[in-house]
Amino acid sequence: MDRTLHCHACTLALPEAAPAYEATPCPRCGTPLRRRQPHAVERSAAFALAGLFMLVPANVLPVVSTILMGQARTDTIFSSALALYRDGLWGIALIVFTASILVPLLKLVSLGCLLHAVRTRSARRSRGLTKLYAFVKFIGRWSMLDVFLVAFLTGAVQFGSLATVRPEPGVIAFAAAVVLTVFATESFDPRLLWDANIDLAHDRAITP
Amino acid sequence: MSHPPAPTIVRHRRSLPLIWVVPLVAFLVGGWLIARSYRERGPEITIRFQNGAGIEEGKTILEHKGVAVGTVENVQLDEKHDSVLVKVRLVKNAAYLARADSEFWLVRPEIGFSGIKGLDTLFTGARLKVRPGTGGQPATEFTALRRAPLLETSGRGRSFVLRADRLGALNSGAPVFFREIKVGFIEAHRLTPDADGVLVRIRIRTPYDQLVHADTKFWNSGGVSVKVGLLGAELRSNSLESLVTGGISFATPSASNSAPVTDDTEFLIADEADKEWLKWKPKIPIQESVEDWETTPEAEPSR
Repeated sequence: MDRTLHCHACTLALPEAAPAYEATPCPRCGTPLRRRQPHAVERSAAFALAGLFMLVPANVLPVVSTILMGQARTDTIFSSALALYRDGLWGIALIVFTASILVPLLKLVSLGCLLHAVRTRSARRSRGLTKLYAFVKFIGRWSMLDVFLVAFLTGAVQFGSLATVRPEPGVIAFAAAVVLTVFATESFDPRLLWDANIDLAHDRAITP
Repeated sequence: MSHPPAPTIVRHRRSLPLIWVVPLVAFLVGGWLIARSYRERGPEITIRFQNGAGIEEGKTILEHKGVAVGTVENVQLDEKHDSVLVKVRLVKNAAYLARADSEFWLVRPEIGFSGIKGLDTLFTGARLKVRPGTGGQPATEFTALRRAPLLETSGRGRSFVLRADRLGALNSGAPVFFREIKVGFIEAHRLTPDADGVLVRIRIRTPYDQLVHADTKFWNSGGVSVKVGLLGAELRSNSLESLVTGGISFATPSASNSAPVTDDTEFLIADEADKEWLKWKPKIPIQESVEDWETTPEAEPSR
């Protein structure tokens, strides 16, 4: 089996003679050559754990307080989704619930699955797990919906006692949780998912 | 999974301990955020209301001196279903309100002849108010007053009991005048024990309570008095307020040398003022501070 090593920056393909190449500069662009992103699993796991820790205050603490026609109320993410549902806006309630509660949780669970698969060197379902990774990466950018909403409303709705929107500490925790899960996704190296398969193929190749 | 490791595979290095600072910081910050919001919470008190109309969970606030000091967290019927239990979470620095002699009541918009009260609650919904106790034991269970205490704005002052043949228009809250300046109001009224008259309790704000002497005369100044004579008509009324609600005026003789009244002195309310009474000009020293100037709304500095 011919295996190649690609430079992360300029994608120059080199015959894999690792560990000889590991951490040496690429002959074309000078970037240190890496077979895999170093410490990908640890970094990803650490960021995911940090994201999980921030998700707790993000959901427990209020994210926004509104004064509308003199009526003040303070909402957590869940209570705002519930209020929307009670007002009959179940579509928007579903969006808020999905984007702000379900997606961050699913992201962390998915990352957990990916990290577990790499950790146990599982060679099964690598294709599905790669798709899962792509999905997690894609969905990450949409999780800031709530933060953008609060930021936008805070700027736009300032009419004294008629209508005022103010951010509460929970929204900072929520933003931190989203950013940390994006970091966790980005520091994960999906090629790790295939290492076990390569090992298997390699084993088959050398043991007839 | 026990494959013999292929020689070409680079094993992962030892884990990088520095990265685990990130979840540690996240844990500390998250814990601090939650702990802080818990520390800002004051005690929870339960107030028993006869009627919970207008009280909403999470919306209705408890107000003291115009500042929110608590939020209604829960509204439910009590076990016997004859009253409403309202749980209020106080803010931390209002914990002193949870005393046995604090009084709570519900403010709804009230439009009466003696004025419009709580008009802003038309917009904001009902609102709870409190008169803090002065030094009772800490408590968490209260029974709400049926209506706002009349003394809400003027805590200081002195009460006097007057006697009249019939109540007329002397309802609670109606004003009491001295020289057509409002110096007090009618607190309460009831029949005399043997039902031969009506007792009206008034409250005069300090320092005006010193104007009442044992020989002070009270009369009913409500309504309009119209006199038509040969030389024309005379129309007399104290203020628009007393025109509608009724009211009491009083005067003290110029040469009054009697000592200030004792608590059990009973005054009579005359139907109308004697011409003589209106001419009385007693000189009674009262310490009025500059802030006691009565201003008309237009004269108040714009805010």
